[in-house]
Amino acid sequence: MLLTANAMGKGLRRGLFLSTALIAAFLLLPIVFIVLLSFGSSQWLVFPPPGWTLKWYGQFFANPQWMDAAMASLKVAVLTTVFALLLGLPTAFALVRGRFAGRDFLYGLFTLPMIVPLVIIAVAVYALFLKLGYTGTLFAFVVSHVIVALPFTVISIINSLKLFDRSIEDAAVICGASRLQAVLKVTFPAIRPGLIAGGLFAFLVSWDEVVLSVMMASPTLQTLPVKMWTTLRQDLTPVIAVASTLLIGLSLAVMLIAALIKRRNEIRA
Amino acid sequence: MKSAQSAQSVLPPDTAKPLVSLRHLSKHYGSFKAVDDLALDIQEGEFLTFLGSSGSGKTTTLMMLAGFETPSAGEIQVEGRSLVQVPPHKRNIGMVFQRYSLFPHLSVRDNIGFPLSIRKRDAGERARRVEDMLKLVQLQAFAERRPSQLSGGQQQRVAIARALVYEPRILLMDEPLGALDKKLREDLQDELRQLHRRLGITIVYVTHDQEEAMRLSQRIAIFSHGKIVGLGSGYDLYQNPPNAFVASFLGNSNFLRVTAGGHAVARFEGKDVAMRPMPGVSAGTDLLLMIRPEKAQVLTTEMAATQPLISGWNEVSARIEEVVFLGESQTYSVKTHKGCTLSIKALTNGLPLLAAGTEVRVRWAAADACVYSEWNESDLNKTTVAI
Repeated sequence: MLLTANAMGKGLRRGLFLSTALIAAFLLLPIVFIVLLSFGSSQWLVFPPPGWTLKWYGQFFANPQWMDAAMASLKVAVLTTVFALLLGLPTAFALVRGRFAGRDFLYGLFTLPMIVPLVIIAVAVYALFLKLGYTGTLFAFVVSHVIVALPFTVISIINSLKLFDRSIEDAAVICGASRLQAVLKVTFPAIRPGLIAGGLFAFLVSWDEVVLSVMMASPTLQTLPVKMWTTLRQDLTPVIAVASTLLIGLSLAVMLIAALIKRRNEIRA
Repeated sequence: MKSAQSAQSVLPPDTAKPLVSLRHLSKHYGSFKAVDDLALDIQEGEFLTFLGSSGSGKTTTLMMLAGFETPSAGEIQVEGRSLVQVPPHKRNIGMVFQRYSLFPHLSVRDNIGFPLSIRKRDAGERARRVEDMLKLVQLQAFAERRPSQLSGGQQQRVAIARALVYEPRILLMDEPLGALDKKLREDLQDELRQLHRRLGITIVYVTHDQEEAMRLSQRIAIFSHGKIVGLGSGYDLYQNPPNAFVASFLGNSNFLRVTAGGHAVARFEGKDVAMRPMPGVSAGTDLLLMIRPEKAQVLTTEMAATQPLISGWNEVSARIEEVVFLGESQTYSVKTHKGCTLSIKALTNGLPLLAAGTEVRVRWAAADACVYSEWNESDLNKTTVAI
């Protein structure tokens, strides 16, 4: 590396440190504000909070509407994860190992939902489900979320499959395992980090998805971000800060799990 | 030649029924003939090496034996039964891969036990046979480690144990020592030779390293452009290469362009030289003499004057161009008056080295020079590595 910390002048190093700190603060401050506000005693989201309280958390957990939304979010995210993995796995195998015309085109197609503006996908899916009468159902939520989660599982599994030395699978076959047994007993364990990473990404994509969800939601079925969105339009209660904090908390927990799994795999490998 | 001649033990007689027969075996990728109408018999218990440069078809042939490649045409038979339709996992063949290919998530013990658990052998038998294998490859102390915690040599020993644990009759090895450094490679070559002698298993080994082929094998099949161009013991292939390609591929060689004068005499640069009898060759035919560097002698003009030429030997005049001293031997690069360059290797014998520019006489026995009447020009200037 040409530009190492030691080779830099003192002033340059300080400048870099300061700019990094500013960027980090810019990224983190909203989260810190929201978490602090959720414990603040003011009803009007005043900062700094005049006092501290847990009553907004009490209100959140006592309100069946918030609890239903949280449960719906969890259900949709888990189902999205499962289906994005179930679809992503064979897709990744076909895209890595298949030798067929149009493979690169197909790869582009599967990653398209990451590039196409979300609102376009949302409108299209909404129009379709409205016609079919599926809006407001769990099915609609999961299908629309799988569309945007699939690129994450596909790319993540593709990456770990490409790193996997295929002769290891061949070794299992020559040892007497059928191709399917070899994939199940040798290839899957070897690409497990990719499966886990892809699954966690899929979960997070669904967990904080709001654009598609707003379209799919009905008065009886809405996810936590949708409930926050609709509540926000009516009044500015600190319970929203509680919901935000819980959203962030679960996301952080998921990322922490991912990091722990990654570290454990690195130690074992 | 540092080849282990002791390993060239008696081969099964040619009349014995081969364990594996390849007949008209071909593999085409579009118009490229990776393997081209190959015929080969592999005897039970032999150590056979496929030797060739990359793209010569040796690995493709091995992969067809394993079942990972399907032949475009031809037949693979084991004891008379066709193997072509048998999927690889039912062939009961052992294989060791170039990059070890151990299962990263399993311990050494479970790697070796994998073929047995796939075959649903009971736990007691499995434990006993895995233990035997660990002992065989001397890895008892490493049984609970994961592959990534082993050195390259240890990993390859695990791979060998995993391939042997289900007692296959044929063991395929695809450049298994290629990734290891020279010293370790030689140690493992010795281990492998001993293992073969102890177990009596049939081994088909692929390598591009001719010294490795010489050290290990009872027979070597030399591959070029999808065909076997030489087949025999390392000794025979080196001493009497069947063609100029094998001569230049295996070891170093000097080629002399001559014209047939009679059936046992040829003209080289205007001078008659004796050669091995070539029945039926007509005078005037272009021939090629091949002389190994260590089979020719370099004498100063004074030495040549005092030492009469033995009958059956030839002598030509030349001038030393370059001398390379290698310790146990030295290599003289000499040029005849008409510009033919020869490389001659002599063991260090206490006499002073001859200097470049010295006029010398080069002698060789007619019996030591192979004669070819057909060859490809491209075969003559192979860049060969001295062995």
